[in-house]
Amino acid sequence: MAILEKVDKLHQAIAWQGDIPITNRYTAGVAGERFLREIKDHARILGTRCPDCDLVYVPAALFCERCFAQLDEWLEVSSQGRVFTFTVLFRDLEDRPLDPPAVLAYVKLNGSNGGLVHYLGEVEPDQVFIGLEVEAVFKEASEREGSILDIRYFRPLKR
Amino acid sequence: MGMRKVAVVGAGMTKFVRRALETGKELAFEAAKMALDSCELTLQQVDCVVHGTAPDAFDGVHMKGEYLADGSGAWRKPYTRCYVGGGTGVFAPIHGWYHVASGLFDICLVVCEEKMSSCQPHPQGAFLTIFDHTTERPLGPNLLWIFALEMNRYMHTYGLSKRDIALVSVKNKRNAADHPCSLLGDREITVEDVLNSEVLAWPVQRLDVSPVTDGAVAVVLAAEHVARRITDKPVWIEGVGWNLDTTYWTNRDLCYPRYVENAARMAYEMAGISEPRKQIHIAEPYDPFDYKELHHLEGLLLFDRGKAPEATALGITQRDGDLPVCPSGGLLGVGNPIAAAGLMKVAELFWQLRGEAGARQVPGQPRRGVAQAWGDLMQVGTVIVMGV
Ligand SMILES: [Zn+2]
Repeated sequence: MAILEKVDKLHQAIAWQGDIPITNRYTAGVAGERFLREIKDHARILGTRCPDCDLVYVPAALFCERCFAQLDEWLEVSSQGRVFTFTVLFRDLEDRPLDPPAVLAYVKLNGSNGGLVHYLGEVEPDQVFIGLEVEAVFKEASEREGSILDIRYFRPLKR
Repeated sequence: MGMRKVAVVGAGMTKFVRRALETGKELAFEAAKMALDSCELTLQQVDCVVHGTAPDAFDGVHMKGEYLADGSGAWRKPYTRCYVGGGTGVFAPIHGWYHVASGLFDICLVVCEEKMSSCQPHPQGAFLTIFDHTTERPLGPNLLWIFALEMNRYMHTYGLSKRDIALVSVKNKRNAADHPCSLLGDREITVEDVLNSEVLAWPVQRLDVSPVTDGAVAVVLAAEHVARRITDKPVWIEGVGWNLDTTYWTNRDLCYPRYVENAARMAYEMAGISEPRKQIHIAEPYDPFDYKELHHLEGLLLFDRGKAPEATALGITQRDGDLPVCPSGGLLGVGNPIAAAGLMKVAELFWQLRGEAGARQVPGQPRRGVAQAWGDLMQVGTVIVMGV
């Protein structure tokens, strides 16, 4: 890290690279642990309900952000819902082309006031619309590990 | 100055632990809810929320103030996160104070949270890049270097021994044994334990240092006319001060924290304190390292320069001494979830001045205390004077 060794070409600024060497280890939390465990063990999506505000939080939360009640009324919400909004992705995080393009949606789950942002699958991008009815597709039980990716994607509800 | 009187009317804190299952949001919620319950307020009655939390890298969430907003009770309220590094925990209530003193809001909820266990392999890693990338980082510095160099300079200047300083660690860890939230309270600890602990960066040894901790603390501030309706025991914020020294630690007088003195003088003047040694009854200076408590007591003008160790040896700073210092158990004993640890000191004054500190209660009905935190690039001092 001296100045001179950095000047390889005239157009290069005098600079060197460094990084902030940190990794983090996250806990799911009191509510998050139960929420993920239910997905892993039973392929079910849980919410918590605030009786005062009459709201069902998904993902399940330990507390109601509106009234600060501690929430202990747990319930299963539907793994079906509707596309609330969506986007079609043509580039990945490294700016490489995505082929085929991926569809990302905010799915409002039936029986809740919340929902999940997740991928859509088994559907062409031009067939997706706001209001589309979708359902969660879970991985096989043996593959599930207690992650939001235990839900493979949401797909259009077959009638 | 045309400012309104502001009181602390409620306080709450989580247990301080090595590794919490709770998310940062859940920790913040627990402390905030407890603070509101302690003064029988609902979230709806809170006009604004102030959050204090140290570097984002600890929790591993960038823009952590925003992430922690719901747990702090900020849903659809005026909300700000303030940040002055390790000094944040005492600055956050100052930030809340001027929200209320200005007349803008009547009730302000102040929440501080830290989840340091997330940061791997050690939160020290978050500090590797606080150094100058041209002149210091090539040397591979870490945070302990600063403390070791500063502690050595302090010892040299005043002819102090390691033993003189280790007494602080012993006092605080013993005090913390009476704190229901403490991580490292230890009634049996001795000076020999400290002196025999692992040397990390001489003269700093393991038991000279506060532990990595998860936790949250919250207090409720209210304008005078509201405070008197909420409680018959308001604890007034009588003075506030904050001050920053040079960024370059090589340009700093390492044996004396001038910036703490400046912050203290600002707070004392506001509080009408001309003789702090007579008028301050309890001190909660920032003690992430044992020598820092001594350093800060001198900066707070509570002892002559280089004389805080002697006062400690004489027992003056014990819980039943003439000037109880860190009766809570401090960061060395209760734990050091950075911003939460600073606010814990303000909460401790609140409980002590109301006579609600339980087994930690200092005798003699103290009427005024000072809390102080320190941090940023080791050059910020933040000070609050509280009284009844
Ligand atoms: Zn609610």
